[in-house]
Amino acid sequence: MKNNKLLQRIFWLIFLVLIWQIVFWSGRFSPLVFPSLTTIIKALAGSLYNGELTQQLLFSLLIISQGLLISLVLAIFMALAAHFSGIAASLIDTLVALAHPLPGIALMPLVLIWFGAGRQAILFVIIHSVLWPMVLNLRTGFSSIPDIYILVGKNYGLDRLQILIQIMAPASLPYFLVGLKIGWARSWRALISAEMLFGAVNSIGGLGWFIFQKRVFFDLPGVFAGIIVIIIIGILVEDLIFNNIENRTVKRWGMKS
Amino acid sequence: MIYFCKESIKMKKLISLSLIMIISIFIFSGCTAEKVENTITIADQYGLAYAPVQIMKDKELLENSTENVKIKWKKLANTAAIREAMLAGEVDIGFMAIPPFLIGKDKGMEWKIISGLSICPLGLMTYKESIKTLADISENDRIALPQPGSVQHILLAMAAKREFGNPARFDNQLVTMAHPDGMNALLSRKEITIHFTSPPYIFKESEEKGIHQILNGIEAFGGEFSFIVGVGTEDFYNNYPEVYRVFLQSLEQSIEFINSNPGQAARLLTENYDISEIDLKKYITWPGMNYDDKIRGLDDFFDFMQEAQYIGSKDMNISQLLWEEDLYEK
Repeated sequence: MKNNKLLQRIFWLIFLVLIWQIVFWSGRFSPLVFPSLTTIIKALAGSLYNGELTQQLLFSLLIISQGLLISLVLAIFMALAAHFSGIAASLIDTLVALAHPLPGIALMPLVLIWFGAGRQAILFVIIHSVLWPMVLNLRTGFSSIPDIYILVGKNYGLDRLQILIQIMAPASLPYFLVGLKIGWARSWRALISAEMLFGAVNSIGGLGWFIFQKRVFFDLPGVFAGIIVIIIIGILVEDLIFNNIENRTVKRWGMKS
Repeated sequence: MIYFCKESIKMKKLISLSLIMIISIFIFSGCTAEKVENTITIADQYGLAYAPVQIMKDKELLENSTENVKIKWKKLANTAAIREAMLAGEVDIGFMAIPPFLIGKDKGMEWKIISGLSICPLGLMTYKESIKTLADISENDRIALPQPGSVQHILLAMAAKREFGNPARFDNQLVTMAHPDGMNALLSRKEITIHFTSPPYIFKESEEKGIHQILNGIEAFGGEFSFIVGVGTEDFYNNYPEVYRVFLQSLEQSIEFINSNPGQAARLLTENYDISEIDLKKYITWPGMNYDDKIRGLDDFFDFMQEAQYIGSKDMNISQLLWEEDLYEK
């Protein structure tokens, strides 16, 4: 079953790549607008080979993990506070209602003034785009735990901390994982758009800056190379990391088929 | 066995689905944006260097002397956007600096320069007392400019090459910012310590206390050069020869108008520039501010950018860069 899924994915990938190449061969579009696969792959290989892209990729991943980690801690804290206190719940719900629909890009002009165009600015935008959906998911996760689980725990004589770790955490894990997935996707988007707006925040810059640089030097194959890297990272994280975590936890526990 | 059958049915489904997709792609590829006949679109950017274009538009010079042609005007936020719009066939004439034009030409854009537009004071501005020359710029300074490959970036690279032998010396300290953002960042005196800018921002910054200039455009370039030129696509040049003529005449007319009646021009421009009439008049007559249709500095830009590998090594003669050579000045 699993192999089959992998085969299908490969089939579709090859299919899309073929269509791309056929469109290129048809000559309908100038190669400036629609470069061939070989030039794109050459651009990708060139940038990887001279180390430029690798460094920028590492920088992007580093700043994303940092943002995700900070948001995660904040989100868990906020969701717990909301779960145990009515006042905190109403405050946090209001905050989520205010901030969740606000795109990070809309905050850019303010962020520039508050944090300058440095690393903190990008980190702020990432945290803003990740935190709120994560809080929302954790809140739903906690409130969807049937009371009976908690009561059983109390019957066993568990204290609050034990109930939290042994019952609430695993019981809300599916929601937590969904929150994490959304957070990951949104942090990618936030990072790329922030970098394209701010430029290089340190001397190397990240993937967004890579794409922007290729754009201003009119190097379309290079732009595609950057996009392909983003796609590959996205697929790898989804297929390898998230699927593995799911298989080992919620699926093994029978919480999700 | 049954399992196998199911799989092959799935495979068939997959294949037929892909066929449908291929066919639909070919059907839809028929309706890519077709250019509306007989519309000429002209794009420029923000800034005083483009003032004659604004005059031409406000006085409807081009509209009044062409027939059967619709003229559309566009303001785009940066050169890359103009270049992309011209590649997409949405814009026929675009105004930009020489380096972005050369980068596009080098990558195969089918375009050439029509005319010059302006010569402007450009400058590297800072609030840091300690920075008097390029050599005083430390690794921690951040330099705001519109984008890599812009004329500001190339001028900085030219100066860096002349003084330190390394055009890329400051490349890792650049921050991409549109001129207004760059000015605000500089004036807030935080980590953007240096701003490479053009009119009117350079005028506003130089009137600000504590901001001084490290380098000007002429020093960086080693002489005078056209800051902005008008660029036309091959499609436009081949299909609209009369509009080309009229466009050049109208451009000359509006340049002439600004140069001989700066007061009137300022009154006309004030609506579009959000600058008072008095300041505008002062700015468009500022020393070094010169509206001029000659194309200057093309060779030096080309040679430098080729040597520093901002463009490839294939040589071009002047007829590959200009539609007509009578405005060219070596």
